[in-house]
Amino acid sequence: MADNGEQKLIAVARHIANTLGHTDNMTDDILKIFSNFDGRLREKLTEKLSDEDPRDCATLEHTLKSLDRQISRYVSSDQPIWSDSADASSFLDSVDQLISSIRDWTQLADDKNIAACLYRAEDLLQQSMFRLEDEFRSLVERGAESFDLTRGESTHLDFSDEDDSGEEDGDDNEIPVAHPITDYNIIIDALPAGTIGDLQEIAKRMVAAGYGKECSHAYSTCRREFLEESLSRLGLQKLSIDEVQKLQWTQLEDEIEKWIKAINVALRILFPSERRLCDRVFLGFSSASDLSFMEVCRGSTIQLLNFADAVAIGSRAPERLFKVLDVYETMRDLLPEFELIFSDQYCMSLRNEAITIWKRLGEVIRGIFMELENLIRRDPAKAAVPGGGLHPITRYVMNYLRAACRSRQTLEQIFGESIAPPGSNVDYRKGDDRALSSSLAVQMEWIMELLESNLEAKSKIYRDSALCSVFMMNNGRYIVQKVKDGELGALLGDDWIKKHNAKIRQYHVNYQRSSWSKVLGVLKAENNSTSPNGASNGLIEKLKLFYSYFEVICKTQSSWVIFDEQSRDELRISVLGTLSPAYRNFIGRLQNAPDFGKYADRHIKYGVDDIEARINELFQGSGSSRR
Amino acid sequence: MPATDCQEASSASFSSLGFSILSRRRDQVHSMESPHEATAQEIELEAFQKLVAERFHELAASNSGELLTISWTRKLLEVFLCIQEEFRVIVFNKKGFLNKPPMDRYINEFFERSVKGLDVCNAIRDGIEQIRQWQNQLEIVLCALDNQRSIGEGQVRRAKKALIDLTIGMLDEKESNTALAHRNRSFGRNNVQRDRKSFGHFRSLSWSVSRSWSAAKQLQALGNNMVAPRPNEVIATNGLNVAVFTMSYVLLFVMWALVAAIPCQDRGLQTHFSVSRQFLWAVPMLSLHERILEESKKRDRKNACGLLKEIREIEECARHMNELIDSVQFPLTEEKEGEARNRVKELGMVYGAIKDGLDPLERQVREVFHRIVRSRTEGLDSIGRANSHD
Repeated sequence: MADNGEQKLIAVARHIANTLGHTDNMTDDILKIFSNFDGRLREKLTEKLSDEDPRDCATLEHTLKSLDRQISRYVSSDQPIWSDSADASSFLDSVDQLISSIRDWTQLADDKNIAACLYRAEDLLQQSMFRLEDEFRSLVERGAESFDLTRGESTHLDFSDEDDSGEEDGDDNEIPVAHPITDYNIIIDALPAGTIGDLQEIAKRMVAAGYGKECSHAYSTCRREFLEESLSRLGLQKLSIDEVQKLQWTQLEDEIEKWIKAINVALRILFPSERRLCDRVFLGFSSASDLSFMEVCRGSTIQLLNFADAVAIGSRAPERLFKVLDVYETMRDLLPEFELIFSDQYCMSLRNEAITIWKRLGEVIRGIFMELENLIRRDPAKAAVPGGGLHPITRYVMNYLRAACRSRQTLEQIFGESIAPPGSNVDYRKGDDRALSSSLAVQMEWIMELLESNLEAKSKIYRDSALCSVFMMNNGRYIVQKVKDGELGALLGDDWIKKHNAKIRQYHVNYQRSSWSKVLGVLKAENNSTSPNGASNGLIEKLKLFYSYFEVICKTQSSWVIFDEQSRDELRISVLGTLSPAYRNFIGRLQNAPDFGKYADRHIKYGVDDIEARINELFQGSGSSRR
Repeated sequence: MPATDCQEASSASFSSLGFSILSRRRDQVHSMESPHEATAQEIELEAFQKLVAERFHELAASNSGELLTISWTRKLLEVFLCIQEEFRVIVFNKKGFLNKPPMDRYINEFFERSVKGLDVCNAIRDGIEQIRQWQNQLEIVLCALDNQRSIGEGQVRRAKKALIDLTIGMLDEKESNTALAHRNRSFGRNNVQRDRKSFGHFRSLSWSVSRSWSAAKQLQALGNNMVAPRPNEVIATNGLNVAVFTMSYVLLFVMWALVAAIPCQDRGLQTHFSVSRQFLWAVPMLSLHERILEESKKRDRKNACGLLKEIREIEECARHMNELIDSVQFPLTEEKEGEARNRVKELGMVYGAIKDGLDPLERQVREVFHRIVRSRTEGLDSIGRANSHD
């Protein structure tokens, strides 16, 4: 390079001298001044001084011939020039010389001789550039072939917080594995460092010669292929929106899993790596770098975003909620990467697309909840659950909501916050921790209301109103239990829970009244002004009636279920709480009746204990499991 | 009385499309709304028909030079957006009504069709990108030949290479194989192995759809079962499904025209278009359809990868340039140089038109995509909510 610089310097010096010197003598003088100025020049200048005029065709011819010789040797060679670094440097030197000569001569192009040389020089330049393009392309391709991105990919890359294992593979070709989620400085050497250097050198010359477009195109074509190949190895299919709609749900679930992995790998590793590579290869040419990067990554980005879009446009079946939430959260978490990587003018539209699609995912999630509402509402009140037990829809909805609320933060984001307006009847004193009532809480309350209405409609199928109440008790209890410990409870608030417990108690009371008030009524003392005998006979009759009612109830209610042990006990206790004393009293009265008291025992079938035992057998159901 | 009415109505033609039936039968119809409201709705629906007809007449008024240019295609998309917006308003005003049979079936069918249209939009976006690649090749040719003091062998070779790349890029994939082999031979390179790999660079650029996706099939599916509403259906939906039918047809036509104009996978144009000329918009739409179909059958456009005028212009000036280059001998005569400069100027204009037109076109296609999605989401939300109030 030093030689080259010197030659350049000399050429310029001569040029100046010739232009300024109107006579040969003046020219000589000027050249002498230069020589005195710098010792190095002295020799060279005085050497060629006498015999050469730079405008002399011979000089140009000489330069041109020498460049032609040097360059043609390489251009016509079948072997890749870059297989030997000495060859490569030498070739680049020649190209540099050629470029600068052309630059010089272009300024003097009015001269016919120079124009002719220029013509041939430009021809030579074109040949060099074609060759450089080939070399460039094969360097990029060769580098990519030796790098296998995805061996071990599918098993090792882990984005979760939990897995901290630092398994390392000894093989150079594999990406180091399983780092904590914060560490995305996994630098992939997308190409060997030497290759990158070579590419940079070539790119510099091609851009300098005005062949930047060809260079950029060769680069991005190859890298794009490599990128798309890497992504396809992650198992990601290219699917149209229509095709995604047609997938079975289980297939779609699989695709979503693959997509989540692929987009994380792409945004966190592959794209940053490509960006770095572009910046290094096109060092100093930011426009070429930006353009190349966009060309490399655009297709894959569109493919990835398109899939997310297809999910957002898809069905709103409630079963999809959890997977769609995964997609939403993935997009949300990657948006900062989108901002970072796609920050230049060419990629801005991609970034905006990502944001739009993310919002759309939020919309479809709201839509899913709407579908859930309709599902609940439409659930028909047809077949009654035997024994007044837990209805499948209660179980489904409550478990669904509990699972959904595990993603409470995300859902709050989706449903948005709505602050309770001033002057509202939110009472801070009561420790209402929903002082800021969120739209999510409102949504949850609404779903609970719908569920309860639906259950009430279902309860009407039971002809026995006591069974009605048992049904409502069971389902209500299950609901409260599922609400209580968890995010759902926090959302709905203590007041809601209190209110619902109160409702359950009311059903409890209703049950007692409908089942037992008639029976208890029989045992009630009467102030009868009949004869003692008549009174005794009346009591016996009453006892018999009591027994018949009691038998019926026990028979009917033996198949009834209270799933929750605590509730079961509570109910039995409260029944017995009124029944036992009433029965005891009644028996007592009977036994103490003046006439036949001693015969009373003949009619007494059950002791109080027996009654209690019978009651305590109730509500187990027919040996069916609880819950 | 009813029989005569019916006959009268159908022969008086669906000039307002069954609205004459509606108005005549206002007394007899068990309308869901009061007569006063029915009139307002009638007006709205009729205005919609008029709008569609007017806009399509404007489009059809383009002469053959304008038809299928980038700027005409942009007008087409504007028309779609405008009609779509009106339709959206109509649907919104009738949102309480959408979930009642048989309207629920019609509107859901429409939404399914519109999803099919989304894939076409995506494929078209990919197609526009492909045209951009050709634009890049043209830029290289211009860079080589334009603004040069004199055109030398080197520049010509450079232009030639770019033109070959351009030609290959515009060919069908199966034809690119042989073309690529020729190209490499003519430039004296004999690294066969590398050729096979770099061939990938001419593969069709489609990222949004699978390799087996077909534009023709998609259009068929979109237009499947599109039958004009019968009078009893019109009455049952108070004319709303006529608007839906109209919107469906507009969607189908616009998607079909885009596929005709712009390169995409499996561009078949055989979609059947038949709609009663009683619809005000049928005449201009069918006329456009015929003209575009004619264009596709012309000898020189039969195998075109897209009917966009600018694509033909690219083909033509590339061909001219190729002919010129092939006929050139160095040193250039003044005459040849003059010819060359003319060709370069021609190419420069084509390049300029594409460069200016593609970005806005792509933005519009995206806008169409987004509006279709938004309208569908709003519709589904409305239906969902309407269901909730039953």
